[in-house]
Amino acid sequence: MIELNGLTKKFSNGKGIFDVTFSIPKGEVFGFLGPNGAGKSTTIRHLMGFMKPSKGSALINGMDTWKDAAKIQEKIGYLPGEISFLDGMDGMAFLKLVGGMRGMKHTNYRDELIHRLQFDVKTPIRKMSKGMKQKVGIVAAFMHEPEVIILDEPTSGLDPLMQRIFIEIVMEQKEKGTTFLMSSHSFSEIERTCDRAAIIKDGKIVVVENIHDLQQKQRRLFDVTFASAEEAKLIKQSKLDVISVTENRAEIAVQGDYNQFIQALGDYQIRTIDIHEQNLEEVFLNYYDREANRS
Amino acid sequence: MNITLYAKMLKVHAKSISSYAIGSALYLLLIIGIYPSIADAPGLNELMESMPESFLAAFGMEGGFQHVSDFIAGEYYGLLYVVILSIFCLMTASQLMARHIDRGSMAYILATPNSRKKIAFTQALVLITGLLIIGLTTALAGVIGTEILIEDKPFEAMTFMNVNLVGILLFFVISGYSFLFSCLLNDERQALGLSGLLTIVFYGMDLVGKMSDQLDWMVHLSLFSTFRPVEIARGSVDVWPTATFLFLLGTVLYAVAILIFSKRDLPL
Repeated sequence: MIELNGLTKKFSNGKGIFDVTFSIPKGEVFGFLGPNGAGKSTTIRHLMGFMKPSKGSALINGMDTWKDAAKIQEKIGYLPGEISFLDGMDGMAFLKLVGGMRGMKHTNYRDELIHRLQFDVKTPIRKMSKGMKQKVGIVAAFMHEPEVIILDEPTSGLDPLMQRIFIEIVMEQKEKGTTFLMSSHSFSEIERTCDRAAIIKDGKIVVVENIHDLQQKQRRLFDVTFASAEEAKLIKQSKLDVISVTENRAEIAVQGDYNQFIQALGDYQIRTIDIHEQNLEEVFLNYYDREANRS
Repeated sequence: MNITLYAKMLKVHAKSISSYAIGSALYLLLIIGIYPSIADAPGLNELMESMPESFLAAFGMEGGFQHVSDFIAGEYYGLLYVVILSIFCLMTASQLMARHIDRGSMAYILATPNSRKKIAFTQALVLITGLLIIGLTTALAGVIGTEILIEDKPFEAMTFMNVNLVGILLFFVISGYSFLFSCLLNDERQALGLSGLLTIVFYGMDLVGKMSDQLDWMVHLSLFSTFRPVEIARGSVDVWPTATFLFLLGTVLYAVAILIFSKRDLPL
């Protein structure tokens, strides 16, 4: 459904995206991971036909996203990363404008989405909070039930309850065969919904893999607090990857094999275990850098 | 053209269009209203004679006023009309394209199955519609105002309409290059600044050129040399060559703007 062949865009400052290649079959939810400034939005801008590639091409449903931009939009729903609506109207007027410009006839699904996301469509856009704008944007992207939905950082600004409703909606559409491309800078945001994911760094695709393999490769850091400082010292002798020990606390890295981690800790008196929040580079890119060095 | 977008955009800009139209019409009526007292004032022509000739020439007031239409043309179309319409064209043009590109809301407009040419053409039509509404309201106010407020004074309706025709076409060109900058740039303020600067330079060249004999070549480089309200009102110039020229130039500017917008990278 979506195909990127050696998509390259070089900006005058030397940045850009280079030889981005991946394809997404129909009905797949595809995650597009990368730290800020890695080239996620630039890639999406090409898919939307906002930019002309320096080299390579992007196809949606077999059509070139630059040349056939207007035609392709019939099949696409899009949520931009930076939410900025037209001012001087309320949420409903905006949705009606976009619907009207699409020539959309049925509004049942739109109204259902508004009801489920629970927001007041009569609020003027300039008075909306970030989360509320995000909801309006999600409705605008989904309401015409397109075949392809492209979402740039979809859950930013949504509270946990709304994130869950959003995931429900994505899953329902997936059942109907909708293809998704979803960008994010955090793995946890996409691991619940995506089948496969690509990781992009400095404009280059690092890897395209399915989510389960990525979860295996994900390196998590745990802060384990023991009952005594002696126990914390003892854990260093186990097979676990102990990064540091300070008094009765140890920082332990786990990658893939959680059973070993739990079994090893079973012999100790544990007070608490905390997951160390890490950014994407720490989770994955160290791993791929090491892989690259080894080969 | 996309009807939904056109209707919505016109609605968004309706407030500013109607206030410019009403403001312009009221100013014109005010000028017409003071005409009788000025025409009957004995000191006026002496006062005019006492002023430096180049100063009068700069504002198109040489030779005094014989008709209402001359007077309106000199007093209103010579300066205030130009100011009001310039502000409208510059502001609205930068809001219709550059603002949406700048803020990113253009992404939503383009994420509909409408080509960029169609979107830009629709936005251009909104600007031209606004200009026409303001221009025609002013013209109408002039005709009706003189009918009601002035008694027994010669009023040349035909030449007055010519003043309006050339005036509207002049602003068709000014809105054209403003729209061009708006399509070309990613920054709303830059678009507004550049089109504003160009307009001020044109106006300044026209003014300086008319006042100074050494610099009169400047007049010919200025767009405002096509609009001489007092001369047109006196019927001393043939307006059709100018009108055709302005119409063609404006059309080309809009066409180039739409074409550039359809071909360029957008940072949305």
